[in-house]
Amino acid sequence: MNPKRLLAITRAGIMESLHFRLGIFVTLFANLIYLVLVYYLWKAIYDSSGTAVVNGMTFTDTMIYLILATALFNFLEMFVVWDMSRSIQSGKIVLDLLKPMRFRKYTFWSYTGNHIVQFVLTFIPTFIVVMIVTKGAIPMGLNLVWFLIATVLALMINYNLEMLVAPICFYTESTWGVNIVKETIVLLLSGASIPLAFFPEKARMVVQYLPFRAVYDIPLSILLEKNGSDTWQGLLSLFAMQIVWLAVLTLAGNLFWNSAVKKVTVNGG
Amino acid sequence: MSEYSGNEAVVMKNVCKDFKVLNRHEGLKGSIKDLFSRDYKTVSAVKDVTLTVNRGEIIGYLGPNGAGKSTTIKMMTGVLEPTSGELLVNGKVPYKNRTENCENIGVVFGQRSQLWWSLPLIESFKLLRDLYMVPEKDYEGMIELYRSLVDIEPILHKPVREMSLGQRTLSDILAAFLHNPAIVFLDEPTIGLDVSMKAKIRELILGLNKEKNTTVILTTHDMGDVDALCKRIVIIDKGTKIYDNDIEHLKNYFGSYRTLKLKLSDDTWEEYLIDEKTTDVMDVIMEKQKEKKIKDVKIDEISTEEVIKKIYEGSAK
Repeated sequence: MNPKRLLAITRAGIMESLHFRLGIFVTLFANLIYLVLVYYLWKAIYDSSGTAVVNGMTFTDTMIYLILATALFNFLEMFVVWDMSRSIQSGKIVLDLLKPMRFRKYTFWSYTGNHIVQFVLTFIPTFIVVMIVTKGAIPMGLNLVWFLIATVLALMINYNLEMLVAPICFYTESTWGVNIVKETIVLLLSGASIPLAFFPEKARMVVQYLPFRAVYDIPLSILLEKNGSDTWQGLLSLFAMQIVWLAVLTLAGNLFWNSAVKKVTVNGG
Repeated sequence: MSEYSGNEAVVMKNVCKDFKVLNRHEGLKGSIKDLFSRDYKTVSAVKDVTLTVNRGEIIGYLGPNGAGKSTTIKMMTGVLEPTSGELLVNGKVPYKNRTENCENIGVVFGQRSQLWWSLPLIESFKLLRDLYMVPEKDYEGMIELYRSLVDIEPILHKPVREMSLGQRTLSDILAAFLHNPAIVFLDEPTIGLDVSMKAKIRELILGLNKEKNTTVILTTHDMGDVDALCKRIVIIDKGTKIYDNDIEHLKNYFGSYRTLKLKLSDDTWEEYLIDEKTTDVMDVIMEKQKEKKIKDVKIDEISTEEVIKKIYEGSAK
């Protein structure tokens, strides 16, 4: 483990994503449209429910949650599966395999730069806007530190989820369908598109223990001090869940990757 | 393992590589059938190849399309595992220590770039320096050497995606040598380049090989590359090694051929390929003179290209 190496890869990632600065503005603009849609959708849901509080969440709670979830999604979103299936089809994968570093590690750090850029340019501005507009609805304290830690863990879990799907490309050479299924499952079950509080009781019991929740719901719960994260015990159990899933997924991903990489039959040879 | 003296960059002994390929069926019906098919056939891409490459050598690794060249290179780089046989690169088994092996090799694929697309070349260099943990002094020395061999100033601060193909290939070669690897694999490095760029790149490869004593394994379809760079040639076809010797011997592979060109009285040139072992050139000239008046005579050595063509064609039969 040489920090200079990792830093160098991250730095290149930052420079590469800053190069596509226009893309970042487009993302912000697309978010705006999406959030307008979300606003009216949930306004209609709350209006028709007849009460101010649905499933323990007020309309403002729900909106804050979903806006931050969208911002978090932009920043955590990864394209490992797309990139890998493309690089397998084009044969470029060989060049990545020929780096003097383990592939999984190398890939992770080359995405890190992009995450840092997205965090600074999309998440932080959104966060500040929400903070100002809601005038103190987001608690400001140690929870911000815990949130950052939870987000880093979420990032690693998300990467490992991607890496669990990506090697399928080695077998099928195309992963369009598999990836769509994966993305939908993650978005739905992680709480990124609907707060988990709105799930039916039985479904929530199951979703509660799945790894997807560790990507969006846990960091957001910690940030907003929901789901018992305002107590030490609650906070620790959320972190424990993230760490356990991270360990399990890393191990599974490693095993799958190691057997998949033996399947390499790169085109043009 | 076997007798490894330290002077060999690559040692291959009876290396084979088989691929399992699905038997595809025709048409929509066939495609659906393929989804569940377990009907595999085994294709041998490399069959029983034995080869030793010494340190500091530049060898031309040739063969027609689909001969198994890239497969061999991928085995040497550790990406593919040989089905059977023994393979050592820098004294180690490449697929067992892939990342370690990668620290000691450089690779250029003429058709794809390992550089960071949107970054200026110098940033890719710095990144590779850190990635391969090249000491600052060695890095500076290497850049100095590059400066003395080619004019890198105009491309150093140019983003890779704005480069011409020639500049990009040049950059890729420089990048592959940057960490001073023991072996560099060049897979069709001059593909698609113009004449002057080809010459530049050949000069660069020769210069780097001389300065750093780097072993170069070159695959190409351009015989100009071979003539300019390689003393030794290995030819493989359908996975089997069919030639492994000096470039001089190659010309005598089918006998000592020469091309005789005669300019006849009606100002047309006639060409004859003559095997000097069986026919005498003078006899042919005399014979022709009886029919028509000869105004001019030329005798050419057979070109490498022609020999290689004959070998490829011969083995295809």
